[in-house]
Amino acid sequence: MPAIECRSLTKYYGDVRGIEDVSFAVEDGEVFGFLGPNGAGKTTAIRTLLGLLSPTSGGAALLGHDATDPGDSRAARERIGYLPGDPGLDADRTAEAFLDHQAALRGAGSREALVARFGLDESRRIGDLSRGNRQKVALVAAFMHDPDLLLLDEPTSGLDPLLQEEFAALVRERVDDGASVLLSSHVLGEVAALCDRVGVLREGRLAAVETVEDLRSRGGKQVRVRVAEDVSRADFEVRGAMNLRVGETVSFTWTGGYDALIDLLDRFTVRDLEVVDAPLEEAFMTFYDGDVPGPGSRGRARGARGTRETGRTEESAPATGTDAAGGDR
Amino acid sequence: MSDRPAPWLAIARYEAAGRARGSVVLTGLLSGFLLLFLAFFPSISSAGIDLDAYVESFPPAFQEAFGIISISTIEGFLAVEFYQFAWLLLVGLYLAYLSGGTIAGDVASGRMDLTLSAPVARRDVVFGRFLGLVPLVLLLNVVLPVVAYVGVFAVGETIAAERLVAVHALAVPYHLCCIALGIAVSTLVSRAGVAQRVALGGLFALFMFESLAASSEYDRAGAISPTAHYDPSAVLVNAEYDAVGAAILLAATATLVALAALWFRRADLAG
Repeated sequence: MPAIECRSLTKYYGDVRGIEDVSFAVEDGEVFGFLGPNGAGKTTAIRTLLGLLSPTSGGAALLGHDATDPGDSRAARERIGYLPGDPGLDADRTAEAFLDHQAALRGAGSREALVARFGLDESRRIGDLSRGNRQKVALVAAFMHDPDLLLLDEPTSGLDPLLQEEFAALVRERVDDGASVLLSSHVLGEVAALCDRVGVLREGRLAAVETVEDLRSRGGKQVRVRVAEDVSRADFEVRGAMNLRVGETVSFTWTGGYDALIDLLDRFTVRDLEVVDAPLEEAFMTFYDGDVPGPGSRGRARGARGTRETGRTEESAPATGTDAAGGDR
Repeated sequence: MSDRPAPWLAIARYEAAGRARGSVVLTGLLSGFLLLFLAFFPSISSAGIDLDAYVESFPPAFQEAFGIISISTIEGFLAVEFYQFAWLLLVGLYLAYLSGGTIAGDVASGRMDLTLSAPVARRDVVFGRFLGLVPLVLLLNVVLPVVAYVGVFAVGETIAAERLVAVHALAVPYHLCCIALGIAVSTLVSRAGVAQRVALGGLFALFMFESLAASSEYDRAGAISPTAHYDPSAVLVNAEYDAVGAAILLAATATLVALAALWFRRADLAG
């Protein structure tokens, strides 16, 4: 029995499309990632699965329970942890009072351990907490009843890198204990690090579902080679080599097989060779027409998160952009 | 799950606890307001003006709106100056306003997403949010009769304790109905601020309609307003206790909460 089974799920807000004909399954013990820019339908999909929105058509099952039936989905929600993208917490209550309430609604076997792990000061008013600390409160609420299925919408937004690591470790522990996870993100690295498979959402539709491994292999290999001979561009302008740069070191993205690469290099005396997976961003270019998933181009003004996201996009997008241009030269 | 409270009870407790300080402050303010008016009474009653003749000259609709039967006795004075105005109108409107923001506010802030991702039925939320405001109503109607009794005594008058108890006991169904009205609006209108104003404005419109209808040939139509079924003047001045009115208000309360649960069950939560 899959943890999530989504069958042609469609949600329109009046005439506005939220998601359309989204079908996928998250297997037991799997970490599945929703990847897409803001407005692609990630949050709509998750909220429809939770029954917060009723689907226009199609259906879904969570942990074997019909997600569109209020009574049946309630049984599923006993074992679900949810982290909203923008958690609505009570600013004027303390973290302790809020978590007490959440515990009364869902149970809280691991609350103390989680609070200690994330170093959360429960005595403070939620309104006085920083964005990262508020996110910790929401994380504790999502994980504290040891759910079998975790729905995490942009889980690491607002967390500093150290806490992102801690969060990733927590997810892996829960998965080792048998939990299944659906997480959404517009940050490719996060998805790649945690997920087994990735569903790419684009304008409300599931454009592709791929394993992270496939994506990596499709992204090709990044080759850096230093040879004894003097070389010119023409020596490496062969089929399968892209984004070629020739200098002291020759670097290119290799999309062909290993044998062909060895044949190519056989003509030279190789002094140094490095072959690594190409960045996942390149694999995703195919889905986004060169627009790497991320809010940089579309922009979402949400304070600290916006700044951070822009920073990330700058790291990846121009790099691939330059390479692509270089390949044409 | 056995050691967990019922979801509606957990929600009611949480909301009531969050409102505890505000409830105490409101009770204190209204107590002060009551005592202030009572302090005026000795000078008004000893001024030798025939106040009853004065108020009888008011238009019938105005007399009806403010339940003016008599104003020269302590009972009539309290009824007109405090209960008819503060208890019926002010507190009623405030409760409708407050409850109008509950469900709609939770949906708008995203709090509802977290609540409903737990094994909680939507009707649990409606019922819990309603119950969460009940302690405020009870606090007001338990503390204020004591304050009124002591206050009346302090200005050298006496009042039948039974009438004071009755005017507050009968206020409870009325106040509950105001909350239920707000909750129902809150499930229909998605924006919290709008829901609050619709609830408040709706109750005020009903009050105005009832007041005007009472002095017209359509006086029976005024019964649609909750304010028609709670008459502090009749209780305080004439010792008339309208048990039927209270029963109607309780039935209306139950109906409104049930309708709210029904509407909310089908609602999309526009996050």
